[in-house]
Amino acid sequence: MTGSLLKLDRVGKDYAKVDARGGRLRLVWDLLAGRSAARVFRALDGVSLELKRGESLGIIGENGAGKSTLLKIIAGVIEPTRGTLSVDGRVGALLELGSGFHPDYTGLANIELAAALLGLSAREIAAKRDEIIAFADIGEHIHDPIKHYSSGMIVRLGFAVATALAPDVLITDEVLAVGDESFQKKCVAWLERYLGDGGTLLLCSHGMYHVQKLCRDALWLRQGRTERYGPAAEVTQAYLAFHEEKAAQAKRPIAETTAIAAGVYAIQSLEFEPGDSMADGGLLRISGDVFSPDGRTPNVLIGIVRADGTPIYGVATDMDGVSPSGIAEHRFAFVLTLPRVGLLPGKYLVRAHALDPEGVRLFDCVERSFVVTGTTREMGFVRLPHRWGSG
Amino acid sequence: MTGASRSVSIHGSNRTAASRRAAGARDRALFANFFHRELTTRYLGSATGLAWALLHPLALLAVYHFVFTTVFRTGGSDGRSFLLFVAVALWPWLAVQEALVRATVSLGGYSGLIRKVAFPHEIVIYASIGATLALQFAGYLGVLAALAAFGEPVRFEGLLLAVPLWFVLAIAVAGLSLMLAALQVFIRDVEHVLVPLLMITMYLTPILYPLSLVPAAMRPWVAANPFSWLVARLRDALLEGNLAARPGDAVALAVAIALFFGGRWVFRRLSPHFEDFL
Repeated sequence: MTGSLLKLDRVGKDYAKVDARGGRLRLVWDLLAGRSAARVFRALDGVSLELKRGESLGIIGENGAGKSTLLKIIAGVIEPTRGTLSVDGRVGALLELGSGFHPDYTGLANIELAAALLGLSAREIAAKRDEIIAFADIGEHIHDPIKHYSSGMIVRLGFAVATALAPDVLITDEVLAVGDESFQKKCVAWLERYLGDGGTLLLCSHGMYHVQKLCRDALWLRQGRTERYGPAAEVTQAYLAFHEEKAAQAKRPIAETTAIAAGVYAIQSLEFEPGDSMADGGLLRISGDVFSPDGRTPNVLIGIVRADGTPIYGVATDMDGVSPSGIAEHRFAFVLTLPRVGLLPGKYLVRAHALDPEGVRLFDCVERSFVVTGTTREMGFVRLPHRWGSG
Repeated sequence: MTGASRSVSIHGSNRTAASRRAAGARDRALFANFFHRELTTRYLGSATGLAWALLHPLALLAVYHFVFTTVFRTGGSDGRSFLLFVAVALWPWLAVQEALVRATVSLGGYSGLIRKVAFPHEIVIYASIGATLALQFAGYLGVLAALAAFGEPVRFEGLLLAVPLWFVLAIAVAGLSLMLAALQVFIRDVEHVLVPLLMITMYLTPILYPLSLVPAAMRPWVAANPFSWLVARLRDALLEGNLAARPGDAVALAVAIALFFGGRWVFRRLSPHFEDFL
């Protein structure tokens, strides 16, 4: 035995793209004729990886990066369009726990179904049944139909079934994101013991903590391709850094050259007066300029949100029947004055968006924070006009 | 969750004899599980489900008897009892009809499994038609027994031929079901076209009338319908007690087997793409 349980060599998967009804007929015809679909979406391309006995690999990436497609290929649910895949051993996949369960069946009957799917004999499953019921720990509910279960109970049963069958490779997809904390701890403990006993794990997760804790290596998928593949600590750090940078970029004004190239309306600058810090009840003037690719006058939307993103107030130029004033051929200036800002002390963000002249499409978002200072004991985050007493 | 060791390559798969045996055992266990699921959720799940499955053909039989012997007074059943004449053929036809319609939409009920678990999707179809045909065959025996009890001249030795005929029917139905179910995943209209098409086919098949009443010029066309042959053979067996084999029997079996492999070929071409379209 070479020890290589799982080996993928430049694996790719295309999904057929069809929209109209005629397209589906055409697709069926192509598939029957042994051709590939005329229009395809590349969900996965050129992914290679190798997993030896006792190793653990984390798969990370944004939604739509191809993680689920990759796991489905490894689990044998779908066949790769390109490349080769070899699996030597029993793969236990926890793809969306409980999705294979039948809602009208009781927990016990679903254990039988899962066992049949895994190819276990009646005797083998009988031996495992008590172990599964004990791990799931859902008491008498095991005799109720699954449709009466809470999502947490389904996950418990799903995890219990998949793990009781001692697979050579265990695939888990976002399993640790569901269930209550104590069950999560139980799962992590189980996975650590499984790995300690020489088990092989393929973990798909958005939680970098779990990947770093449980996996030796990590594979970062981006738009269906391998962005990075190596030691877990290194790959997860690169992934987190990428996201921080991306988040920071989204808030900065995009360069005028980029705006021209993309042909979009874009906020070019955003200034505050008196500054990034102001006394409560004072005056705030928000100004800036906006780029227009076709020279028409764009609209500007200014929003104020709390530091956690809760919207407080937003207003656009076209709502008030005004427009930014032209200062150059493609440049327009806007000024919004809030004479007495009713915000209570705290940290806030101003978001400025460029809109098309029709005020319909929203193009970008430039964000800048400011602090309201003060010593008031009022609660909440805005001061409403008020008076006490009758009348 | 998937089974034993697997090696997949786009240039062809290589499986060891041991892993093939393990897969075979797994497929049988899955079939048993799905078959049981079909029976319980479909018929035994609701109190009226099983009763309705048997009552529907009985009610139809009664209505046809009323229409053709009391209203139209055709009585054109070659001088035999009209009730038995129709029952022998109508019941298998309704079984085929129900099996095809249910099998066509059966994959939808397993979409959760198909999207997440690796298993041969054909098993769903086999379990669906297996459950329908098993139940309808039991109903067929029940009706024959009931008719005999009311004095109808049922030739029970004819079952020696009728049972193999039902098997031929099952093979053909399996082939058609595999094809229809696979197409239904991609083209949702299949289900809607199927029901009227089956209705038309029923009236073009000598179920409610004997072939001898069809004008001679059209008779070869009606007889060319494979189900016409089956109907004639069932009547030979259960009405006449005639068990002699005919050369047409081999042709019918060949047609059924061809339908099966043709349908399975279509299904296997399309099934790798079910996951994306269900």
